[in-house]
Amino acid sequence: MTGAAPVPAQFFDGHSARRHAVLVSPTRDGSGLMIERAERGGTAEIWPLDRLRRLADTAGRGELILTRLAETEDESPRDVARLVLSDPGLIGWVTQNAPGLDRRDTRQGTARRIVTRLALAVAAILVMLFVILPRMSDFMAERLPLETEQRFGRAVVDQMQRFLGARDGQNLTCEAPEGVAALNRMVARLSEGRDLAYPLQVGVLNHRMVNAFAAPGGHVMLVRGLLDQAESPEEVAAVLAHEIGHVEARDSTRLMLRAAGSAGIVSIVLGDVSGGTLVAIAGEYLLQSAYTREAEAGADRFALEMLNAAGVSSQGMADFFLRIGGKSESSIPEYLSSHPSSAARAGRAAENAQARPGSEPVLTEDEWRDLRAICDGFSVAP
Amino acid sequence: MSQGNGTVRYDGERGALFKLAMKTGLLTVVTLGIYRFWAKTRIRKYVWSAASLDGDRFEYTGTGLEKLLGFLIAVVFLAIYLGIVQLLLTFVGLGFSLEPQSQWEVIAQILSIYISFFAIVPFLFFATYRAQRYKLARTRFRGIRFGMDNAAGGYVWRAIVHWILTILTLGILLPRQTFWLGKYMTDRSHYGDARFEQGGRWQDLYGAMKHVFIAIVILVLAAVAGGVLNSGVLAAVLGVVGYIWLIVGFVAYGVQSWAYMTSNMTLDGKVGFIATPATGQVLKRFILGGLIVGLIAAVGFAALAAIFAGTMQMAAYGMGPGIATIVVMAVAYLLLIVALGALSLVFITQPITAYLCERLEVQNVRALDAVHQRAADKGADAEGFADALDMGGAF
Repeated sequence: MTGAAPVPAQFFDGHSARRHAVLVSPTRDGSGLMIERAERGGTAEIWPLDRLRRLADTAGRGELILTRLAETEDESPRDVARLVLSDPGLIGWVTQNAPGLDRRDTRQGTARRIVTRLALAVAAILVMLFVILPRMSDFMAERLPLETEQRFGRAVVDQMQRFLGARDGQNLTCEAPEGVAALNRMVARLSEGRDLAYPLQVGVLNHRMVNAFAAPGGHVMLVRGLLDQAESPEEVAAVLAHEIGHVEARDSTRLMLRAAGSAGIVSIVLGDVSGGTLVAIAGEYLLQSAYTREAEAGADRFALEMLNAAGVSSQGMADFFLRIGGKSESSIPEYLSSHPSSAARAGRAAENAQARPGSEPVLTEDEWRDLRAICDGFSVAP
Repeated sequence: MSQGNGTVRYDGERGALFKLAMKTGLLTVVTLGIYRFWAKTRIRKYVWSAASLDGDRFEYTGTGLEKLLGFLIAVVFLAIYLGIVQLLLTFVGLGFSLEPQSQWEVIAQILSIYISFFAIVPFLFFATYRAQRYKLARTRFRGIRFGMDNAAGGYVWRAIVHWILTILTLGILLPRQTFWLGKYMTDRSHYGDARFEQGGRWQDLYGAMKHVFIAIVILVLAAVAGGVLNSGVLAAVLGVVGYIWLIVGFVAYGVQSWAYMTSNMTLDGKVGFIATPATGQVLKRFILGGLIVGLIAAVGFAALAAIFAGTMQMAAYGMGPGIATIVVMAVAYLLLIVALGALSLVFITQPITAYLCERLEVQNVRALDAVHQRAADKGADAEGFADALDMGGAF
């Protein structure tokens, strides 16, 4: 190919928008392209082969658009001039002989720039998610008027009833008088001599699910399945103490505020591309469970302290976690789950119980029977 | 090229673009979305280079890397801003929580929900302008850069005022908005050292809106038929016709207002443009492409659903779907999504782009020879805000 006759091509010098007709040929020594202006008095220049770069991902078959590697202020280190070749022979020669035609030529320090920028972004987001949002939501939760929180709590309890399958207006609360008396007795025993931030409103919902939850504003709801599964009043007392812990720490209000703040962040960061949505959901879940795990551990500590102060054995807590945990415990590792592992919690409770012998039953046999019968005759979720 | 007119052509090919879109789409999935900046850049390089004026191809010089870096800046900014706004609003919203006690609380509650949307509206306009500026700054023709002034702030408040006016007048002032916002951008756009200028009058855009008005008349008639004449059938028929007409009307407005704005644009007062697209031709390509993509989507999703139902059946007999099955299903689903994205690019976006190019002519194209280069634009956030807010169309 070297020594071949020059072929016509088009050239843009990058200074003006004028199209220049040029004649292009390989230089004699084959180390570059000789570009001669076809117009009268035109100049000639040589583009060395090793600095030739082609425009990538372009349409237009049978065309090769060339530029040169050059240190510029532009987004990529490329010369402003363009050479458009359409002669198949010359295109073939260039593609075979130009060594760096498709090289990307990143500028020096690019990797460092990416890493710094990425680190800054990640740090800013983490600080936002784990320092600023939690602080702000805690601050706000503490300043929410009690009345507002209680009203919101009632709405949450209603929502929960609907979730359990209550039809419009159906009330799932169990109110057998003897049962209610027994429950109040248990609450009184646990909170005796304590200055609680909220007047507690404890109730039982008629559904076979084994569960209990604390809603904002001092609401604690036990679900009937829990009473059915519990083998002693101490087990129920342990759950109750745990939920009272959530109430005292204003966990549900705080967590809700945090969730509101972080919801948008995760989806913005991960984008909304096909795979990204799944990742966003997973990220949101991980984040929430990190918040929740912390709250659960706090409620556990509070419960043990409360049981100890009331002279109730925490062996009930250990038994309950072991039995319920053994059934539902999946292979989810602790850091993925919103609750600490049941075995670990049971272990802590048993240890606490052994250190404190001489406890008194939280309810009498009769009261325990009444409590378990609190839902007898009340409407049940369909 | 008679009378010095230059023709615009688009010669992108289905196969090449589909291959590129599939390849970059798959890489995007594999990299959990990070490659999307490079994917978009590569698609743009192809589409830009397929368009040519007077035989010379356009060039897109953006890089995926600068888009990623710009995105990182925007994300940090937005995350902090939105996180705090959202939290404050929830706090305020809680005060009037789920059981509003008075009319005022209902209004306040609704407001607190909508404010969180309005909180990002300024950013949407900001991102619109910045994205347009970035795209122009990365477009070259005959080696000469396009560019746009750094004036996103002025665009934001103008856009907000225009939108409020348009909404308050129930859309009657939409042409005014389209015209002035378009003019704001065009008057700040450059090709090399030459400046674009938007001419024309906003009142002229009402012509482009005529099908929207016809649709509204039909919908009003439907309401009359239902409410006054008590004819349910007539109301339903008119309602459906009016609804479809309205959609077509908005497409027509989009196409014809673009044509008007383009035809009244000049470059340095010397170079003019003539755009003569027919709405029917755009619709035809849209419907045809939509049918093809829709058909393939239907077949694909049906096949996936059948496989899914099959595995569920097995699960009912105690053979739970193994991890392998679930992974295969997820991969098949993602592949289908990527393929559908690539197909709509090839069968809908590209044909319409090609048609719009075909119906565009540039007058006095020789005057371009006198245009000189402009300085490079650093492009700070490289439309990162638009990416973070998930705006922007096919490319």
